[in-house]
Amino acid sequence: MGKYLLRRILQMIPVVLGTTLLVYALVFALPGDPVKAMFGDKPVNEAVAAQIRAEYNLDKPFIIQYLLFLKNALTLNFGETFSGQPVISEIARAFPVTIKLALMAFCFEAIFGVVFGAISGLKKGKWYDSVILIVSLLLISVPTFVTGFVGQYVLGVQLRIFPVTAGSNPGFFDLLMPAMVLGSVSMAYIIRLSRSEISTNIPQDYVRTARAKGMSNTSVTFRHILRNSMIPVVTYLGQDLGALMGGAMVTEQIFNIHGVGYLTYQSILKGEANMVVSIVTLLTLVFVVCNLVVDMLYAALDPRIRYA
Amino acid sequence: MTESNNVKASEVSSASTSTNSRIATADQLHEQQLAQGPLLEVKDLQVDFTSDTGKAIHAVTDSSFSVYPGQWVAIVGESGSGKSTSAMACLGLLPGTGHVVGGSIKLDGEEISGWKPKEFVKIRGSKMGLVPQDPMSNLNPVWRIGTQVKESLVANNMDVSHEKRSKLSKALADTSVQLKDEGDETFIGSKELPQLLEAAEKALVETGCEGAKLEKAMADFRTDWVAGSETRWRVADDLMRYGVKDDDAWYIAKKYVTGSTMEDRIAGLLSEAGLPDAATRARQFPHEFSGGMRQRALIAIGLACRPELLIADEPTSALDVTVQKKILDHLRMLTDSLGTAVLFITHDLGLAAERAQHIVVMYKGRVVESGPSLEVLQHPQHPYTKRLVAAAPSLASQRIVSVKEHGGDASAIMEHKVDTAKLEANDTIIDVEHLTKEFKLPRRKELFKAVDDVSFKLKRGTTLAIVGESGSGKSTVANMCLKLLEPTSGKVLYDGQDIANFKGKSLLDFRRHVQPVFQNPYGSLDPMYSIFRSIEEPLHIHGIGDKKSRAARVRELLDMVELPESVMGRYPNELSGGQRQRIAIARAMALNPDVIVCDEAVSALDVLVQDQVLQLLNDLQAERGLSYLFITHDLAVVRQIADDVVVMQHGKLVEHGTTDQVFNNPQKQYTRDLLDAIPGGKLELGVDLADKK
Repeated sequence: MGKYLLRRILQMIPVVLGTTLLVYALVFALPGDPVKAMFGDKPVNEAVAAQIRAEYNLDKPFIIQYLLFLKNALTLNFGETFSGQPVISEIARAFPVTIKLALMAFCFEAIFGVVFGAISGLKKGKWYDSVILIVSLLLISVPTFVTGFVGQYVLGVQLRIFPVTAGSNPGFFDLLMPAMVLGSVSMAYIIRLSRSEISTNIPQDYVRTARAKGMSNTSVTFRHILRNSMIPVVTYLGQDLGALMGGAMVTEQIFNIHGVGYLTYQSILKGEANMVVSIVTLLTLVFVVCNLVVDMLYAALDPRIRYA
Repeated sequence: MTESNNVKASEVSSASTSTNSRIATADQLHEQQLAQGPLLEVKDLQVDFTSDTGKAIHAVTDSSFSVYPGQWVAIVGESGSGKSTSAMACLGLLPGTGHVVGGSIKLDGEEISGWKPKEFVKIRGSKMGLVPQDPMSNLNPVWRIGTQVKESLVANNMDVSHEKRSKLSKALADTSVQLKDEGDETFIGSKELPQLLEAAEKALVETGCEGAKLEKAMADFRTDWVAGSETRWRVADDLMRYGVKDDDAWYIAKKYVTGSTMEDRIAGLLSEAGLPDAATRARQFPHEFSGGMRQRALIAIGLACRPELLIADEPTSALDVTVQKKILDHLRMLTDSLGTAVLFITHDLGLAAERAQHIVVMYKGRVVESGPSLEVLQHPQHPYTKRLVAAAPSLASQRIVSVKEHGGDASAIMEHKVDTAKLEANDTIIDVEHLTKEFKLPRRKELFKAVDDVSFKLKRGTTLAIVGESGSGKSTVANMCLKLLEPTSGKVLYDGQDIANFKGKSLLDFRRHVQPVFQNPYGSLDPMYSIFRSIEEPLHIHGIGDKKSRAARVRELLDMVELPESVMGRYPNELSGGQRQRIAIARAMALNPDVIVCDEAVSALDVLVQDQVLQLLNDLQAERGLSYLFITHDLAVVRQIADDVVVMQHGKLVEHGTTDQVFNNPQKQYTRDLLDAIPGGKLELGVDLADKK
């Protein structure tokens, strides 16, 4: 087990290097000159522009720029934005917001997804099973920005239950609607996944054996049907948490939440290579760690799986 | 229906007296059974399933049988005869859309057929236990074995520190042994066990017991006194048997046998079911167990709450014969000592006759015959039972032996006579020389020898059977003879040529002459191919004839395997298992091969179908001089088809001889074990069976 863990951690190194290189190349290849853009409508002063380029290493070839970034990143110096803010402090401001949003969305999709999925799977063919199925299909097929705008308009503008936007330093209540919008698609997937897992587990021989032992319907359901059905669901949830941490670019834009997704989008627009690459590096790490946790969880939930 | 009081009392007692001398005599048992009345009484039961289109499918149309306390009753029938469905209806565990539509099921005189699911929960486990069919799928892979045993104890609120005795065994104890109070049924706890053994040794020494006798006594105590399984009065009893004075024995038993914990009880139950090192094993997961061990765990679960009736649904069909024998012997001993009645469901008539006092034969959803085992076997009334008795391979080989013992001419009833002339002729078609195959196991350094130095010769026009349990390497040998696997060392000669040298055209030619038929007729036919295409495919691959002549050949082949031409346009899923196996044989025959390698070709089939397929193979051999390499785990089948037998164990060749030699005069202990394990092997059928055919 320890050996396996070490191997997985070492595997992260090439993954992180590869992603940063790729993202750096992509930002580098973006059309337009970020320095010229900084001057806006004013005429470009070539001397000043050259100075800025030298300061941000923009005059050097791509590979040198990348290596310089790596060197600084290793000492936890991610450089500055074009407006002079340290990249690290910008990220430190955005991440807590995204973590809050992601965890809320995660809890929402996990709880409601599993509960509705279980009801639906255990009571297949009942009217509420059909209702749950139709709603989940709807949520899967409608894009997030539609759900987001509809939620904003109906719950925020018309009914005035939730705030329309979240603002720069949002609290729990401000993030409630965005979290629900963000988690809705995954919730729908979890409903369908739990439902199909449960219905394949119900006719299993070991469930019949459990009933033959004289166990009550409730304990058979929890210990044998739900317990076994949750294995793939937990795997899906773990991976989804990684994705949610990446920030919800669309949702954060709609609700004006200053999280990671918002920051990334703004930085791409401005061509801030340092910022974009730093964020992506962090997100890659978060994602890889989440994946590792999922694999460990998988082994913990299913004793047939052992890593060596 | 024949009443159960026909049960021969002597049979009932034979096992109980031999395995457990503490149980009352057969007469008392019989008396008690009758006095208590039937435990389970099923009358005119009807069970329907609802199809997708809402139509009713009658799975059981007329099923009646009774089980008396402490009695073994077997329901025999082929797959789909409604035997499992009848039993599951008693537990309220019908699968899917199944429901009882008529008749009655009475448990202890109480009607239970109309019960709601909640009401069934009360009797499951505690009054009726289940030992299910497939040990692979009946244990939840995510829970430890011990936990799954515990669930049963917890669900029924079992007292884990005291044994629970059935009404029957209590009633029997009343008449033969002095009445015991609750405390006498207290289990040994694992914590007190060392002290108990110490005290026992001291007491023995005080009585003057020493040397070998003392050692033997202590060894007996160590193996017999299992925590969570043996009770106080047995400890006292054991001590007294070795000469400890009554008062001292009881003093020790009372002082050190003070009840077991949940963990002790779980381990006790598992070791009762024959699982070695149960306390450690209980902490393992199902996937760490072999099939036989899982089945033992399932038996422990089924008996955990001491039900009065145990429903055993083909409990050993998935296991090797020798394991089957051990497990059933063990189950017999346990149920006898606990006074548990067993409803034993099986497709094997020989097995049923050997194990049960009473047999119920089901056919197409009906009970067609029922009566005391030997009666049914020796004088079957219904035509279906007659066919079943005639076809059961275990009984067939038994028949041959018994005819011979009575001085008759066995060849008259043998479907297959050993062809000594051909065996002695020097006409070898497949020659296996020092064949060895090693496999690399994951995470192990040393190689695993699946086949270890095996040599034999298959003579032209004869059948050589390779017999062994699962894991003996017999299929690996078959695959090497088919050149589907490369041997690590040694060689296979086909018609004098080393098959390792076959390449390209010569390999294609070899494939044409040596054809396989595999075990699973469901898996070996492509479900997307029509029957015509499946049979025609080998002809097509080898570029034989044109479209028209190939079609004619397919018709000819279907005729040969006795199937109508109309099946050509159908698909495998529209055919029965026996029909599919015929298709597989027809396909193998398409290229006019010399050798057919049958890898467990009839194991998946019902007895009657199996019998037909074996006859077909025999006829084809007689007509065309085919040679068969016949791989099987079933020695009984060997008698019906083989001339020559190779017995394998752990990759090694154990015994090699003609069928007559191996059956009449086995040389090795392992072969004798295999022969002993053939169900029904010890039944005395009498010569009158010869005319049953």
